[in-house]
Amino acid sequence: MKFRKADPLMQDLRRVLPSDRVRAAPLERSIMGRDASIFEGGRAGPVCFPISTEEVQGCVDAARRHGRAVVPRGAGTGLAGGAVPLEEPVVVVTTKMNQLVSVDADQRVAWVQPGMINLDLSRALAPHGLHFAPDPSSQQVCSLGGNVGTNAGGPHCLAHGVTSAHVLAVEVVLMSGEAMVLGNPNGWTPGLDLRGAYVGSEGMMGITTAIAVRLTPDPPAVQTLLLAFDSVDAAAQTVSAVIANGIVPAAIEMMDNNIIRAVEEFVGAGFPTDAAAVVIVEVDGLPGGVAEEADRVMEMATARGGSVRRAADDQERALLWKGRKSAFGAIARIKPNYYLHDTVVPRTRLAEVMNRVYEIVEEHELQVMNVFHAGDGNLHPMLLFDRREPGIMPRVHAAGAAIIEASLAVGGVLSGEHGIGMEKRDFMPLMFSEADLDAQARLRRAFDPEEMANPGKVLPTGASCADVNALDKVPEGVWG
Amino acid sequence: MSARVSLGVDTEELASCVSCGLCLPHCPTFRVTGEEWASPRGRISAMREVQDHGAAVDDAFLASMDSCVQCRGCEPACPSGVPFGSMMEATQASLASRRRIDWRRWGFRVLGHRWLLNLVSRVLAVVQRLRLVPSKRLGLPKIPLVQDRLRASGDDVWLFTGCVMDAWQRSTHAGVKRVVESAGVGVALPGAGAGCCGALSLHAGLENHARALAIRTMGALEGSAPILVDSAGCGAALKEYGKHLGTSEAVAFSERVKDVHEWLAAQADRLPPVGKRHQEVTVAVHDPCHLRHVQRVHQPVADVLSRYATVVALDDDGLCCGAGGAYAAMQPDLAASIRKRKLEAIRRSGADIVASANPGCTIHLANAGVTVCHPLEIVDEAIHDDR
Repeated sequence: MKFRKADPLMQDLRRVLPSDRVRAAPLERSIMGRDASIFEGGRAGPVCFPISTEEVQGCVDAARRHGRAVVPRGAGTGLAGGAVPLEEPVVVVTTKMNQLVSVDADQRVAWVQPGMINLDLSRALAPHGLHFAPDPSSQQVCSLGGNVGTNAGGPHCLAHGVTSAHVLAVEVVLMSGEAMVLGNPNGWTPGLDLRGAYVGSEGMMGITTAIAVRLTPDPPAVQTLLLAFDSVDAAAQTVSAVIANGIVPAAIEMMDNNIIRAVEEFVGAGFPTDAAAVVIVEVDGLPGGVAEEADRVMEMATARGGSVRRAADDQERALLWKGRKSAFGAIARIKPNYYLHDTVVPRTRLAEVMNRVYEIVEEHELQVMNVFHAGDGNLHPMLLFDRREPGIMPRVHAAGAAIIEASLAVGGVLSGEHGIGMEKRDFMPLMFSEADLDAQARLRRAFDPEEMANPGKVLPTGASCADVNALDKVPEGVWG
Repeated sequence: MSARVSLGVDTEELASCVSCGLCLPHCPTFRVTGEEWASPRGRISAMREVQDHGAAVDDAFLASMDSCVQCRGCEPACPSGVPFGSMMEATQASLASRRRIDWRRWGFRVLGHRWLLNLVSRVLAVVQRLRLVPSKRLGLPKIPLVQDRLRASGDDVWLFTGCVMDAWQRSTHAGVKRVVESAGVGVALPGAGAGCCGALSLHAGLENHARALAIRTMGALEGSAPILVDSAGCGAALKEYGKHLGTSEAVAFSERVKDVHEWLAAQADRLPPVGKRHQEVTVAVHDPCHLRHVQRVHQPVADVLSRYATVVALDDDGLCCGAGGAYAAMQPDLAASIRKRKLEAIRRSGADIVASANPGCTIHLANAGVTVCHPLEIVDEAIHDDR
């Protein structure tokens, strides 16, 4: 579809926004057709860059008048295809709404605009000795609006909880064009927790235009440990032992040998490239408690044959975390494409599921790397491939499906933090009954009766009429 | 749809981006626009649209490519090691051959001819004093009417003098030369053959011109003495001759090239102490992109400078200032927005003056009213303050 100057939708959008902030050049619409997931082939309609709640309302109004769906987009770092525009919707990009509106350091609350970058918020708060606890690996670039959309996690969410635990209220523009505040920045509101329903709704209930975030005091002391093991089993057992002994570290992250080697080449942090697995454990709190907990964790690792290293200073800590947080990108040193999964399994079954993952990839003649939040059993197996290789995609998808099935079989769930988006949409019936899906669809329609907010995501097509044969509903070209 | 166009970008390089987006906050144009087409990931997507999917080379594509400062801040940020600079240079080269009228084509030729550049500079200096040119809008510094000639003092090391810097900021070279000499070495100066390193031509896609300048420059800096460079952009270009020309001679040449701070930091014990009457200043170090992201030797600047001044770091992760060679003149609006971020970081640092080891950055920041000098000018003053 081409948008000419006389296109009525474009004309209406240009009444709301200055013309340099509504665009429809074919190239821009293609570029906006994808996010950080493997989905290609989405295509945006008009691309809008509002700077205020009123402008977002105006964009939504214009889209509604023309029967066009609306897809919100932040930094475009989502891994489940949540921001991929299907059927040329109006794309509302929030990157220009990136201001820190207010900080109340005493009440530990800040109002932020949705386009603010996660790490920018914590940096702005540093003078107050506060930070925003959820720290996705992409925190240097991902937007807080996107964090709300996916209910994002991060290494330090083990002790502190994921995004939902740090969002007190959200201002939302519904598809009716109405703006409303869900939740209460000063505490709990009586009645239904609409804020809780909204956080993690992946853009399917409305567009976030402001967020009241809970601020966390910086810990007085932090120690970061690097534990290296000769086997994945020993690493997984150590993780279980730490939690079973009543220690809840700020973060427990595991990387397997393949990813250790890729990351070490990029950061040179001294990760042992011959270890079968390394575990990064961070403990924080008061200095005395931190020292004791660190000692106990190290004892548990040594007892299981692990070698231990304690980061000597902030610089070494930062380097270890840089290695962990750049893992996803670093794999391109091996293959140009990856398909990253996000299932969660019971911690006690970690080693078993990981071994099953290795078997699955071998069966499908693929390569895999594992880097994940071991403390809460959130696996991130990454399948590596080159999409230019003929016949590779069916193998990648078959292996992905097998990994999901293996995770669910031991009592796991589909997604820990990346969201369902397009990626897991068609696996939803594996986990939820028809009645579950119907309830979810009805909750969504309570906010968005016409299903115009980010359609085609999360819920299998026809979730409420038991027609869950959705694989062939994915637009052509999307599965690269 | 037009016929498929190859941009001449290496297909493996083009495939190497996984679109993770970790480059975005390190890109100055994305930082100030928040728009994907003005980000490294968006530009790579655009290159793929044209080269792999047959999209047209239209205004939107040109805007995406030409808005790139080519600071290469995305390269160290990229966990996949995507060689963005090389992809952008290839794209610019193929675009240059399609552009019908391009003032850069003849504009950059002037840089290679020292007599012509000096003539143009003198004329500019005169009309500037007659207030006939809007210098700030054009991004020009105050050009000197007369400059003292530099004289060689030995043959231990070469000092590369370049084009614009020699024509407009020769006093900086003089200060750098005094500091290098204070470490006890004699400095040789190249002739007119080393009049321009060719970086600006290469960034504009004028590959053949850049190659000719590189060969001429190599010829003018013979022997085995280290080649010291006090301009980050020129240093980066000289260090990449080996990669661009691909000859063993060019590789050997590039190995001799050292940023002058990099060289001085290695001779730190030979550097003289601070002069008796020197009053210490607080200096914010602005890392030029081609020192930090391309040469990746920005640390020696602070190492050398901190012996003579109180050095404070800027808190903006080394984001570009928007100067980008000819960028400030070609894209004045974006360049000014990018500079605004840098000025805020400078203000937060509380420093008296800013030190920048690249003439482009110096001119661009000075035009916004900041006191900027070359790091070694500060060192020169500190050493010789008892004269």
